[in-house]
Amino acid sequence: MSSSTVSLRQGAPRPAGRRGPRFGAFEPWFYLAPAFIVLIGLLGYPIFQLVNISLYDYRQAQVSGAAPLEFTGLGNYQQLLSDPQFWAVLGNTVLFAGFCVVITILVGGWLAVLATRLRPWVRTLLFVVSMGAWATPAVTGSAVWLFLFDPTLGLVNKTLVALGLHAFDGYSWTYDKWSAFGLVASEVVWCSFPFVMVTVYAGIQAIPTEVIEAARLDGASMGQIARTIMLPMLRPIMMIVIIQSIIWDFKIFSQIYIMTSGGGVAGQNLVINVYSYQQAFAASLYGLGSALGVIMTVILMAVTLVYLRLIKKDGEAL
Amino acid sequence: MSTPTATRRRAFTWAPTRTYVQAAVILIWCLLPFYWMIVTAFRDVGYTFDPTPFFTHVTFDNFATVFDESLGNHFARNLLNSLIVAGLTTVISLLVGVFAAYALARLKFRFKEMVLGFVLGASMFPGVALITPLFQLFTNLGWMGSYQALIIPSISFSLPLAVYTLTSFFREMPWELEEAARIDGCTQGQAFRKIILPLAAPATFTTAILTFIGAWNEFLIANQLSSDATKTVTVAIASFAGAQPHQEPYTAVMAAGTVVTIPLVILVLIFQKKIVAGLTAGAVK
Repeated sequence: MSSSTVSLRQGAPRPAGRRGPRFGAFEPWFYLAPAFIVLIGLLGYPIFQLVNISLYDYRQAQVSGAAPLEFTGLGNYQQLLSDPQFWAVLGNTVLFAGFCVVITILVGGWLAVLATRLRPWVRTLLFVVSMGAWATPAVTGSAVWLFLFDPTLGLVNKTLVALGLHAFDGYSWTYDKWSAFGLVASEVVWCSFPFVMVTVYAGIQAIPTEVIEAARLDGASMGQIARTIMLPMLRPIMMIVIIQSIIWDFKIFSQIYIMTSGGGVAGQNLVINVYSYQQAFAASLYGLGSALGVIMTVILMAVTLVYLRLIKKDGEAL
Repeated sequence: MSTPTATRRRAFTWAPTRTYVQAAVILIWCLLPFYWMIVTAFRDVGYTFDPTPFFTHVTFDNFATVFDESLGNHFARNLLNSLIVAGLTTVISLLVGVFAAYALARLKFRFKEMVLGFVLGASMFPGVALITPLFQLFTNLGWMGSYQALIIPSISFSLPLAVYTLTSFFREMPWELEEAARIDGCTQGQAFRKIILPLAAPATFTTAILTFIGAWNEFLIANQLSSDATKTVTVAIASFAGAQPHQEPYTAVMAAGTVVTIPLVILVLIFQKKIVAGLTAGAVK
């Protein structure tokens, strides 16, 4: 959060484009070419193949060449849309991602406000510790969480029983659908709120102190200041962290895959990402898995487009 | 109470105490998993579930288990693999990304918004959608179990993010200095070496840290596209074998988790300010 990166949006105009025409109109494309070639190669081909595979009945036999490829058009999609499990999984994904986003934003935003009121060393401690959680691999985080919440011997259940809550003696957090989702969500929030916190904190720091000081002198409470001054000024930043969180939490894979052992009891904790993976690699239904991948991509691209729209509406260069 | 200084001196309230209690709760929530991971990593396997809240039955056996080849664990190899994959991903993404970010931050041209939109869209692409086509492609090419099979998808995730973060940083740089140096008689090469490079180095370094952490933590692609020879640490942790058969090898997993996480936490400890600046660069302008 050096002051060089945090300046007000009404700041000085960007110095871009000062150079004369001596470099020619192709100069930008010369610099962009390597990135473009790499990205188009690395994303373009897989996307093309993804759509392609999703139109075929493509299974293990077709991979090994034992059976001929059969073009089924939108067959995979029809099969999915008429499958109640697909709709259940989609519902799970939206609910789970939505829940994670709301909690992440609330915790992160609340801590950002809290951080402005802490002594510098406490704030640094808070930031360092949270960024540690942010940097922890999802795989490790999931393993630690499972260990803490082990049904019979885990620290959490032992503590709860010691506090007199005997209902938690041997209680399996991953057996019930909603407590399993809750357990995963608590790990997800743990490692994703730091991004929200530091971003919103940087946004608050960019608000001119005179405005807040003036409101305080006029007798506004902390809550009033947050609601009527900070929130409107933070709107663009809140949009960014919300949409980024939506995209992030929609794509959660490792935590669900590890903590619920691949999607929970009878697949009750499947989200689209894990479902797609399971269809492709556990059931060897590559065509069906790809169709799910396409659906996932379309949803995320729609969210991204909304995001780009909103940024543009704010008059902000991307 | 009418003087301006007097308004600042308030009567005692619980508000500051409450603030610190709230901060303490969050710190515990963040720290407890780390702390418990490390305590368990150093605890004798027979006392895996001992709830004593400090170091007891301290042993290094779990770390020995993690690196014990006779149990089928190849953690040293896994660490090396992760280092190779994440390291090369970072280097390539930065090398390619710096040029693109320079053009996007510094030059004016048509379709710039579209290019940035494309970059942002690419950074949000779901990994699970790439995996089936890549699995098929790499099988056909005979690349399964090779490093490039892990590095190539990894770059496709990290490059867009690197370009975006670098662009945000480069926009804030005082590029006028370059021109000033030229006027003062520097050649273009000198101006680049003496002015631009030192200015851009911290931004590039920060982006490299972010890229490296992302690549190091990747699990989905590596889980499917790696072989025993190229298995990375995240995949290894997810499929760990302990010293005791038929028992969840918690202590060994915690030891492995400690080995993998502590370097990242140290990185965060040292570069916390830079990392935060990098994360917020895109959002706060």
